[in-house]
Amino acid sequence: MSAFTFKEQNPLPGFRLTLGFAVLYLGLIVLVPLSAAFLKTATMTWPAFWSAVASPRVLASYRISFGAALLAAAINAVFGLLVAWVLVRYRFPFKKLVDAMVDLPFALPTAVAGIALAAIYSKNGWIGRWLEPLGIKAAFSELGILIALTFISLPFVVRTVQPVLEDLESELEEAAVSLGASRWQAFRRVLLPPLYPPLLTGFALAFARALGEYGSVVFIAGNMPMRTEITPLLIITKLEQYDYQGATAIAVVMLTASFALLLVINLLQKWSQQRTRG
Amino acid sequence: MSVEVRNITKRFGKFVALDNVSLRVNSGELVALLGPSGSGKTTLLRIIAGLEFPDPGSAQVLFYNEDVTNLPASQRKAGFAFQHYALFRHMTVFENVAFGLRVRPRDKRPAEPEIRSRVAKLLQLVQLEPLAQRFPSQLSGGQRQRVALARALAVEPKVLLLDEPFGALDAQVRKELRRWLRRLHDEIHVTTLFVTHDQEEALEVADRVAIMREGRIEQMGTPEEIYEHPASPFILNFLGNVNLFQGRIHEGRVVIGGAEFQATNHVGESNSGAVAYVRPHDIRLTRERTGQSSLAARILRVNAAGPVVQVELERLDDHSQFGVQLSKEFSRQLNPQAGEQVFVELQNLRVFAEDYSI
Repeated sequence: MSAFTFKEQNPLPGFRLTLGFAVLYLGLIVLVPLSAAFLKTATMTWPAFWSAVASPRVLASYRISFGAALLAAAINAVFGLLVAWVLVRYRFPFKKLVDAMVDLPFALPTAVAGIALAAIYSKNGWIGRWLEPLGIKAAFSELGILIALTFISLPFVVRTVQPVLEDLESELEEAAVSLGASRWQAFRRVLLPPLYPPLLTGFALAFARALGEYGSVVFIAGNMPMRTEITPLLIITKLEQYDYQGATAIAVVMLTASFALLLVINLLQKWSQQRTRG
Repeated sequence: MSVEVRNITKRFGKFVALDNVSLRVNSGELVALLGPSGSGKTTLLRIIAGLEFPDPGSAQVLFYNEDVTNLPASQRKAGFAFQHYALFRHMTVFENVAFGLRVRPRDKRPAEPEIRSRVAKLLQLVQLEPLAQRFPSQLSGGQRQRVALARALAVEPKVLLLDEPFGALDAQVRKELRRWLRRLHDEIHVTTLFVTHDQEEALEVADRVAIMREGRIEQMGTPEEIYEHPASPFILNFLGNVNLFQGRIHEGRVVIGGAEFQATNHVGESNSGAVAYVRPHDIRLTRERTGQSSLAARILRVNAAGPVVQVELERLDDHSQFGVQLSKEFSRQLNPQAGEQVFVELQNLRVFAEDYSI
């Protein structure tokens, strides 16, 4: 009882109402659909579950899905920081336009993005024709998946880092330099540490987004079993074969794994925030 | 032996921030750059630090006869403290102070035990030793500025540059901290240049004061020199309240209304219009006319709250208004009342030709 009664007179009114709404909202939108997946899976026997989620083809798809999503998020952490840096620190013509372009991957239907990327990176495409002689096969390969995932998860890091970077006064850099630090030391020791928390947030969001991506990847991946087949595609394939239990079983594994990963990233973020309090 | 700038000009677009400024700070001296906002004082400080570069030309920045005009800030060894401290908020107080030592190239970096003892000494100097492991967000404004000072001192700077060091603090802390700064300077004698727009601060703390106006240094001297012999009406006005009396110069004396006064500064013989500047405490009130040099006035208001009594008056001849400060003791004897008529005697008049505007 006492755990749920807060101070008699809370200076912020509406606590019960807002908490009630938040719980209902999260329940309806997130919890109910997800628990349905778990309930459906619970009807399976252990051996059936195991053969559904641990067959070699499914295991290969986990590898490519998690691997590519992590790599895409890492790439975006580096280059997203660079884009945010340029957008915050410098003034140049058409800056607003460039700034708006960052959000395009959000707005574009993912299928359109997939088809466009596939066309550009295929053997005869604008970029693909230059990569082909170098022995790089961009479309219909693991690299294609990575390209698509990097594309669709680009905005997250930029948008999380940008406001924090805007808050860092240029005086910090000047102070570091006047104390004898080189440009690199000023960046590495003074500017970067306060950016770790937003970088981790952006990384986590980009990773989560890339992991669930389906629309753009299926057009550029080639979808070869054991090589370029992502887990979401496997789930769809199972659904098309009316194997609902198998589909939800894989979904449950994926959900649990990504939840665990996001939890770790959040803890990391909390830890780095404590170190960079301010 | 000095830190010196010569012929510094700096334009931002069409705005001339500094107009051919030269300044010399002697070794171990504490100099204040005083001026209203926009007078170029911060720009000058930043140029000395190497955070800004002067327009190309004959500009020179010299640290002890070494030309550092083209050296980047990181190699100048000029300690800089910012108005808003610019502390590294992800580092403890200790690490903030140690920063300048830790970023040195490996061959010049002191060993860890030496860094520890040097930082500890500096923290002792700024009286923050117990707070070494705190983060900047856990400190008060005055403590933060002291950390910033210790951080700047850690690199053993050739010159310490303070940009409005107490500007973001409230009045009480400000006063305490500037006295502390003076004591600190007497202890360590590092050549220091600090920027302020607070004339009280500059006059109280500095060995010498340079007053800036519109990108130029208008006057430089000891606080006493500047206060007693201001070179222009601008400085007179900037250093504190002053009353204006329109008059004429006649045979070396000033004629105001029906009265004649001796000017403190040299005014020449010319028969021309002039403005006399008189400080509120240089005006005497009497009930009786005392000969040639007094003006008739009426008391508008008396305010006795504070260490001195402020009286506002209006001249009977041209109805211009002015203010007078009386000591409590004198005020008790005279007992001035609003509405009554009195005579005023002007002393210490500083007279400038009329076209010299503030």
